[in-house]
Formats: sequence, structure tokens, C-alpha cells
Amino acid sequence: MEQMRMPSALKYELLAKCSTTKARTAILHLPHGPVQLPMFMPVATQASLKGLTPDQLESTGCRLCLNNTYHLGLKPGQATLDAIGGAHKLQSWPHNILTDSGGFQMVSLLKLAKVTEEGVRFLSPHDGSPMLLTPEHSISLQNSIGSDIIMQLDDVIATTSPDLARMEEAMYRSVRWLDRCIAAHKMPESQNLFCIIQGGLDLNLRKECCKEMVARDTPGIAIGGLSGGEAKESYCKVVDTCTSLLPENKPRYVMGIGYPADLLVSVALGADMFDCVWPTRTARFGNAIVPSGMLNLRHASNANSFIPIDDTCGCPACKPKEEGGLGLTRAFIHHIAGKETAAAHILSMHNVWYLLNLMKNARQAILDDRFPEFLRGFFKQLYTDNGKSVERWAVDALKGVGVDLEDMAEPTASATSTIDGEAE
Amino acid sequence: MLAFTILKAATAAAPRLGRLALPGKKIIDTPCFIGNTSRGVVPHLSPDNLHAKTSLGGVYLALEDFIEKSPEAVPPIFQTPSLNNASPLTSYCGLPHDILTILGARRTPPVPCAKANTNTAVSILTSVGFRQVDATDYAAAVQRLKPDIAVGLADIMYDKGQISSKRIDKMGDRTGAWTRTLIQYCQDDDGEKGSLPHIFAPILPIESQLQSYYINQLLDDDLKHQVSGFTVYDAESLLHIPQELSALPRLALSEPNGPTKLLLEISLGVDIFTVPFIGTATDAGIALDFEFPPPSQVNGNSPKPLGTDGWLDEHAADTSPLAPSCECYSCRNHHRAFLHHLLSAREMLAWVLLQIHNHRILDQFFAGVRKSIAKDTFEEDKAAFEKYYEPELRDTTGQGPRVRGYQFKSEGRGEPKKNPKAYGRLDDAREKFAEGVLPSPNADAEDLERAGMGSVVL
Repeated sequence: MEQMRMPSALKYELLAKCSTTKARTAILHLPHGPVQLPMFMPVATQASLKGLTPDQLESTGCRLCLNNTYHLGLKPGQATLDAIGGAHKLQSWPHNILTDSGGFQMVSLLKLAKVTEEGVRFLSPHDGSPMLLTPEHSISLQNSIGSDIIMQLDDVIATTSPDLARMEEAMYRSVRWLDRCIAAHKMPESQNLFCIIQGGLDLNLRKECCKEMVARDTPGIAIGGLSGGEAKESYCKVVDTCTSLLPENKPRYVMGIGYPADLLVSVALGADMFDCVWPTRTARFGNAIVPSGMLNLRHASNANSFIPIDDTCGCPACKPKEEGGLGLTRAFIHHIAGKETAAAHILSMHNVWYLLNLMKNARQAILDDRFPEFLRGFFKQLYTDNGKSVERWAVDALKGVGVDLEDMAEPTASATSTIDGEAE
Repeated sequence: MLAFTILKAATAAAPRLGRLALPGKKIIDTPCFIGNTSRGVVPHLSPDNLHAKTSLGGVYLALEDFIEKSPEAVPPIFQTPSLNNASPLTSYCGLPHDILTILGARRTPPVPCAKANTNTAVSILTSVGFRQVDATDYAAAVQRLKPDIAVGLADIMYDKGQISSKRIDKMGDRTGAWTRTLIQYCQDDDGEKGSLPHIFAPILPIESQLQSYYINQLLDDDLKHQVSGFTVYDAESLLHIPQELSALPRLALSEPNGPTKLLLEISLGVDIFTVPFIGTATDAGIALDFEFPPPSQVNGNSPKPLGTDGWLDEHAADTSPLAPSCECYSCRNHHRAFLHHLLSAREMLAWVLLQIHNHRILDQFFAGVRKSIAKDTFEEDKAAFEKYYEPELRDTTGQGPRVRGYQFKSEGRGEPKKNPKAYGRLDDAREKFAEGVLPSPNADAEDLERAGMGSVVL
């Protein structure tokens, strides 16, 4: 494989590494300003974060959000994006945008999609006409969107697929498509193309893919195809394997991860960037993320609860009125949840703020080289304080990077077999 | 103390200018409008947006939005802990403390109820269905929730055209009795107001002589000083307000269908409006675009529309603001192309931006009205406005956000779905294809359509 040198529109500035785990913290300088790693990126699918104004999104601390190429390609469409001058101008967002390639939506949203070497064939959800998304078209769309980080088109199949031959085909096809994406990328000076490591749960395929893709020297590297229902143990192994093979001086983005525990374990395994629709989607269902887990505000038990969602939270909704926040109570959010869109706005703001703040605290802990203690504190709040034990996958994954949570862990599988009935 | 000062008395040529001042609240210059809430929020605006992106001085809230399950259970709003004698209503809804709150029994506009009012109770629609609330319970709720202003219960049949004369007699009698009950609950033992709500007595939308007995009661010594203002349901009823009490502020819970009608109601002497058409326009995807007085330059021959339909494809790549020279957050930061995109993608932000914009347009409209009155040019400007703009808002070409159960009354069987199905269009078509066998060349077109051919274009 010949070495391809491509320009980069980002600078990765390492600040500190955890002396125990593989966690690291850095400043990532992007075309629309610096962001701090590790970080969580909320997903503004159709150029808006589910009812939040850019001002409100900014108030959660977000400086890099996602848009979905597939959705923007359908609406408002490439011609309109070109006329307006890209997604930043479309949504008046002065900070960074990352776009995915559209491939994941093709296969996840469209049952009628079919992947060929050429690209992804699918029927337009608007009028049913046949359409084809090629790597070239995906990059061209993302060039029109003007996002600061763009993703290659990859061949995504469910990690749980038992078809190893198809998995291998998808991995090599993703590499071939990366080459086509690099060749088609017209604005490498202002947009950073990230490759996407594929290979399912097969570690050898993942290793091979890492080797091939690292050789292409893209400004950043994503680990894709995960978060599709695979066992958490397998997920951790893939992330751990990949990060060990990736260069130190480039950001690593694990796609589709958003649960607090998953985020922190992945950070410990050496990943830097994450995105997920979960915090905003669960907000629309009336759920708030809190340190002890989740709070369903539609549950009747909240009707008379005159306390904030989380009294340690500094989001605009939870912060007391005296401190310039709204000081909203669970009772009031219960009153409007599912009935007024404002409830979804409030909970989206809270949930995004929560995850961004969690990552901020993680960064500070890495800087102070107390990340293992931070992890312990986090898992204590999430599990042991509620009388639960830390799940086995997390304990094992963290043990692999030198953090011992065995004292908080659930008993090993053999020990639970006798009390299986009670565990539910 | 509710201080309503008339800054400039009404003349033959112009209505009056006033100023409403309550301790700790924003000073409100009238004529003006206040926010119209649904379940304690101005629809689409979270409290932070309400505070930062609009300049509303007050909001109208409806008790029916808060008491769905009572009397079986005590409504949570009554359990609100309130510090320093603050209004539980304000605290519960997370409203800024300087926002004036006006509480009524029903939303505005109200959904007509299935059951008629009785001598002691009015029918209301909660989010879990119709029920009745006793006049004494309403009074107790007002006393407890401490809005700044409470609207007295009115015996109005919202969906009846012709009302019998016997029934009309009852309207006045009941409204009089209910108003008296409310006043009893909202005065301290020594007859003083204290921090209790101010009462706006309703004036019924019927002829003056038919409610004269009720209105004369308001002049009785024990009531006269307890009524702080009036509520009307159509602006014509303002004429029934006794001369003696004409200095009191007047709130209209009317349904003007556009600014032209609003101007008419202003000229009749309404001080405070709720303007439900702001929300209607927002849900319809219409960015209001009018100013008062209208621009002086000649406007060609045809009158200008009162708003821009955000759904129209002509806006798809238009990076101009929703309304030229508008200073609202939406216009300063966003453009028509984004609004068009958000609407066609059915993103919630579309209605947020429209709601902010439309409130600003009304805000400027009322500021213009007040200036015009001060300059004695109101009637002139009103005539110019009617000439410059179309008389009514246009119909939308798109769909609004999902309609909720408490926003409409079911008309009975065979009603079409209020909200279109959002998902599964392609899946539907595929299933139909899978079920069907290949049609013969002689197949009837109607059969094919039933098999799903008509709905999918390949």
C-alpha cells in the first residue's frame, strides 16, 4: 500500500495521560475553535438539537455537535446547502460540526437498502424512487455541508452478524471506500476526514483494518460498527484492541456511544470522542440522566416532588433561581412531560449538560492524575450507593487497564448461577 | 395594591393609555398583550426562552390545566412549597417572579364542554377529560395559588348559538353569585386585600339589559371596592361597564382573528389582550409580518399579507430574516431557509423560533399602538393599517405540531385522525406488495390501488 499524505485541518495537543489507564486528555484545535478531549458530542440530526436554539445548546457547554449527512442530503438537499453556504450558516451554529457519512442511516433506517461495491442502493423515503449513495457522493455532500470533521462512507453491518465472510468483505470494502473518499475529498484544508475501523467483533479483522487505515494517515480515526447490540465485553475488547494499535497523536472517535458508564470505560480504554442520540431521545420520553442512573419524570411519583431533577446539577433547568438558573422542579416537568414540547427542551438541555459535565470532570481527573479514583466514585454513585453491584463487563474492562473495582462488583457468573431467579 | 393609572383618557378619536403596576412586577403599559399559556408554559417556549427571548410582562394561566385529577387527589400545584409568601402558581411553573400572572378557570380559547354548567359549578376540560369545578373550589384555588389577578367565573356557553331567554337570566344570576363567592374568598377577615389576588369581574357577552341585575350588583358597596378590573369575552361588552367603574383595567379573553380585529377591540377600549392568534400562526408555520402604524410608502395596489408562510418552497434558500428589520432573536440569528428546513423536517425548533418571532411582532405592534394613541393619530393609523394589509391571516399550506387531547373536542364517531401517521410509510407499501400477487393485464385499477399500487411511485 502506497503511503498517502493528506493535509489536516486539526491539531491534536496532548495535555496529560493517566498514569494507570489508557485515558488521555487533549485539546483538539478544529476550524471552528478548540474543543477538549475526551468529549461527548450531542446529535443535532437535522441541523437542530431537538428543539434547542443554538444559544441553549451553547449554554450546555457544547462546542462540537453532529449533523447527519443522510438527513441533510434529503432535507434541505445538496443544492440548497450549496446555495446557503453549508450547515453552519443553515443553523447559525458558530462552533464545530461533525457529520457522519450517511451509511449507517441507510442500513439502520431503510430496510430496503442494499450494499454493493459501488455504494448503498436504497429507495427514497420521500417518493420511493431508487437512489444510490457512493463514497464520492457522501464526501461531496459533506463538502457541501462544510462540517469540520467528515466521515468516510463505510460498509456497516450489525456486529452481531454471524456471517464472518460478509464481515471480512465489509471490512475490506470499507478500506477501499476510504481510498475513494480520500480521492473525492475536495476540501482537506478545512475539513478533516476520519476513517472508520470496521471488522465486527473479530479482533483479527479489526487489527488488519487498523493497519490498513492508519497507513492512510487521516487526521482522525473512528471505531465504527459498534453499539449495535453486541455484548459489552466484546465491545470493550474491540475498543481496547484498536486503541492500542492507533497512533498517539490522533483523536479516536468511538461512534454511537452515550451511556455514562460506557463513556467512562471507553475513556479508560483510550478513546476520545463519542456521540449518541440517547440523551436527547430519552429526554423526549421524559427521562433525565442523574448520577444514580435515570429518572423518569412521567412517572406519577414525581407529581409532588418539589426538588430539582438533580440538586448537584448545574444545568440551566436544575440550577436554583438565586444562581441564575430556572430552578424547575420534578413536579412541574412531570406536569408538562409528554404534553408540551418545552418539557423535551428542558430535559434535552439537562441530559446534554449532564454528559458534557461528566466528560469535563473526567478531563480534570485525568489532568490531576486521579482518573482511577474518579472512576471509583462514579461507579459507587451509579451502583453501590443504590444497593447494586457494578456490572461484570465494566469491572473486567477496567481491570484490564489497571483499575480494580472487584470490591464493588457483582459476584462472578458461576457464583450467581444459584440465585439467578432473584437477580431479575 | 393594583395600581392602574390612566395616562391618557380615551377620546372620540383614540382609546385610552394606561399603566398597570403591581409591587415586584414589571410595569405594564396598556393597551398590551400577555402570554397565553398551556399547562403553565407559553407553548414551545421553555421558561429560559420565555425570559431571555421575549419581553412578556405577564401571562394568562388556566386552572383547568392544573387540576385534572381532583377532587379524587389533591392537585400537585396546591402542594407547592412557597417561600416568603410567594405565589405557588409562579413557583410551580418556574415563572420569573416579576411576571404578572392572571388566572382564569378555562384556557383561552376554551374547548366547549360536553356538559352544561350548573348553578354551582362550571364545566372544564382537563388533560384527562371533562369535569366540573365548583365555584367555591375555584375561589379556594385562587386564594391558595395567589395569582396577581384572578378572573371571575362566567357562565358562558361556548358552543351555543341561540340561547333561550330563560337561560340568559341564569347566566347573569350565576355569574353574580360566583363573583360574590370569589370576592369573599379573596379578602381578609377585616375586608382588606393584603396580598390576595385582585379580582377581574366578568362581563357577559350578552346584551346590557339582560345582565343589568348582575352588573348593578357590582356597584353595591360591598363589591364595588373589591373588583379591580373587568374581563370581557367580546370587546362589544365593554359598553356594559358602568361609568362609575370605567377607570378599572379591562382584560379581553376574546379571539381576534388578526391584527385588524385587534385594532377594533383596542379602539373599543380593551387594555389587556391574550391574542390566541399568535399561537395559531406559530403552529401553522406563519411568521407574522406587520407593523403599526403601517409603512408610509405606497404599497402598490394589493394589500400586503399579514405573515409569511414558512412552508412555501420559495424560502428554501432564502437567507433573509423572517420579517425585514425585525429585531427578535430568530430574525437576528436565523433565516427563512432554516425555518423552511425545520418545518419540512418537522423539527421542534421551527415552532420555537416562530413563537419568539411572533411574540416580538405583537410586542412591537402594541408599542406602535401606544405611540399612535399618544400622538392622537390612532384612528388615522388604524385606517391606514386596514388599507395596507389584508384583513385576515392566510391559511397555512403545511401541518402544525402534534395536536394534544386537551386542545380539541372530539366530534364523535368517524372523525379523521388529528395527527398524521409519522412512521412506516415504506414498510406499509412493502407489506402490501408482499401480500399481493402479480396483477393480470386486465385487472381493475381500483383493485390495484387497494393492493397498494396507487400509493407508491417506483
